[in-house]
Amino acid sequence: MTFTREELRRLALPLIIALVLSAAGGSLVWSAGQALDSAYRALTAAQAERRQNNERLARIAEEEREVREKIDVYQRLKALNILGEERRLEWADAITRIRTQRELLDMRYMVERQRLLNTIPGKPANVDFYASTMKVDLQLLHEEDLLRFLDDLRQSGNAFYAVKKCAITRTGQTVGGATMAPRLRADCDIDLITIIDRAAKK
Amino acid sequence: MFAAPRILYFTAEGHYLYRSAGRALELEAQYSGDEAGISAFRDYLRGQRGALFAVVADLAGEDFHDEQIPYLRGADREAVLSRRLAQRYRDTRLAAALSLGTVDTAERKNERVLLTSFTNTQQLAPWLDALEESGAKLSGVYSIPLLAPALAKRLAAREPRLLLVTANRAGLRQCYVENGKLRFARLERTVDMVPQALAMFVRSETQRLVQYLVTLRALPREGTAVQVVVVAPPGQKAAFEQALASDARLVFRVVDYADALSSAKLSRVPEGAAAEALFLHLAARHAPSEQFASREDRRRYFIWQLQRGIVAAGVGVFAVCALFGGYRWLQVLSVRSDAAEQMQQANAAAAQYARITSTFPVTDTTTENLKATVVEFRRIAERTANPDQAFRHVSRVLERYPQFDLDSLRWSIGKPAELRASPTAAKPPAQAPAEGGADALVVVELSGRVNATQRNDYRGITAQVQNFASALIGGGYELVRTQLPFDITSEGVLTGDIGTSADTGEAPRFTVTLSRRLP
Repeated sequence: MTFTREELRRLALPLIIALVLSAAGGSLVWSAGQALDSAYRALTAAQAERRQNNERLARIAEEEREVREKIDVYQRLKALNILGEERRLEWADAITRIRTQRELLDMRYMVERQRLLNTIPGKPANVDFYASTMKVDLQLLHEEDLLRFLDDLRQSGNAFYAVKKCAITRTGQTVGGATMAPRLRADCDIDLITIIDRAAKK
Repeated sequence: MFAAPRILYFTAEGHYLYRSAGRALELEAQYSGDEAGISAFRDYLRGQRGALFAVVADLAGEDFHDEQIPYLRGADREAVLSRRLAQRYRDTRLAAALSLGTVDTAERKNERVLLTSFTNTQQLAPWLDALEESGAKLSGVYSIPLLAPALAKRLAAREPRLLLVTANRAGLRQCYVENGKLRFARLERTVDMVPQALAMFVRSETQRLVQYLVTLRALPREGTAVQVVVVAPPGQKAAFEQALASDARLVFRVVDYADALSSAKLSRVPEGAAAEALFLHLAARHAPSEQFASREDRRRYFIWQLQRGIVAAGVGVFAVCALFGGYRWLQVLSVRSDAAEQMQQANAAAAQYARITSTFPVTDTTTENLKATVVEFRRIAERTANPDQAFRHVSRVLERYPQFDLDSLRWSIGKPAELRASPTAAKPPAQAPAEGGADALVVVELSGRVNATQRNDYRGITAQVQNFASALIGGGYELVRTQLPFDITSEGVLTGDIGTSADTGEAPRFTVTLSRRLP
């Protein structure tokens, strides 16, 4: 069957209407599909959050025990100024004070550049441990002088003092005369460790 | 597009134009069969461009001819039927071939067809031309007999052979329907009669028709009785039932006009309309596919149907999509509701967590940071040691070995790997800790001299150094290696200076390395 031009013209409007209706129907199905995908994504996220919160809630007793157990250590670290920025001036003051109080002989020290310590994996990103290695060269009358120095250093705070190595050697000088000559010499490497907790209240 | 259809009821005396509005039939106009009537119809059509029309003819001169053609389909069947119609009728503009089913003969399978047309089509032609010129849509040209099977079905007359008798405006119409298909019809003109006379007329005409059909062999000479369904004019049912008593040959069933209207779902008819209203309503609302008009006469109607079909297809697609989309939107609402419920539970858990943690000791940081800080600090502290303990341990042993003088003491924190990598390593610790977390060691290296023993007393010096080294084991310390004044190992070089008088006086030197694992 063939159509005349006039007949085709009369069929055009119904065809357009049918196409528009079909397109509208397709759009409806497509938009519903998009909305359904989005809703499923939201549901998955909500389920994950609920699971995580419930698990955290279930661990809360353990967490409370941990907090109570650790809070004292944390407060102590804070009181000793181990938590916080480095206090190099305080370190220098402390060494000077110890030397004076203990009447130590010659002493040289050098604090190296601060470095980030590699820490445990999974640790929160906003807690970092730093170390600055201090090299100390002490002239000693007796090995006890070294132990007292290290003990005084620990008591002075402002960092956690981790002794990495210490070598005591004889100087070869004999005791006698008017001046006190050192019999021993100590070379030590000590890590001065500080902690930066970026979530901590100032 | 959905205007009420008009039906032109065509009789020999006059023509009536009806409008079908739902379940009602309204008389719009009445025309005479002459030129004046056609002219008036044309005037009417000027205001009805594009309207939907059907023509129902109720004329006496209608031919019915039973014939067989080879069993064919498609264009071949169309061609054969066109040829048969052309052979039988001079004017085939209003001719139709109705299929009566198939017949199996000895030679081949045939199709029985009923060829039908009007003996005088010219009386209809000017009216059809007027419709064509006005641009109206002609759905079809029907005759009352063509509509009879549909009315019989509406009246619940389902017998294999039945006669449908109606008193129309054009006269008494008798239609013979066999197995639901029209076989024959005739129209007998009537004059105004009293109900009893009309009923008797119905009876006599029915008997004549049956006799004629028997002659034509359309009805068997002997056999079961023929059902005759008679639609009685309004208020005449009782008279008809009294006059139309059944016998062995004819079984009459009289249907009241009001009941017939109800069966045809027609609630209102114009005043003066007779039983033809039933047929006209069927032509307007439930028209059969068989009709007389040619394809060309119905072209506008076909295009109109096509338009409606295309829009209906679009609406159908939209409806299916809307249903599917609606179903998915219901799913969306359900999933969103689930998500909201999950979020509510998550928030409730978070709120409960916050409420409980508010009773915890006041911390200056987050719980996670607090734990991480302390755990990590403890880990570092565990891998840290002070030299005091090592110094005291060595001092205690030295007090028991006054002949030993230390030149140096090297204390350090190291790892087993570093210790093993040392080129002078004699052997690793007996129980070297595993690599990984707790693998830090305190290493103490003592270097000194052995006094008060003769330089050439190898065995004595070696034994003393070994005793001294053994004494250092304990308190967590293990012996890593011992470097004796004399290398007595097979890998080393053993030297001696026997018999010479020269003595350097230098005490033999040794080195002892200890280690202690950190927790």
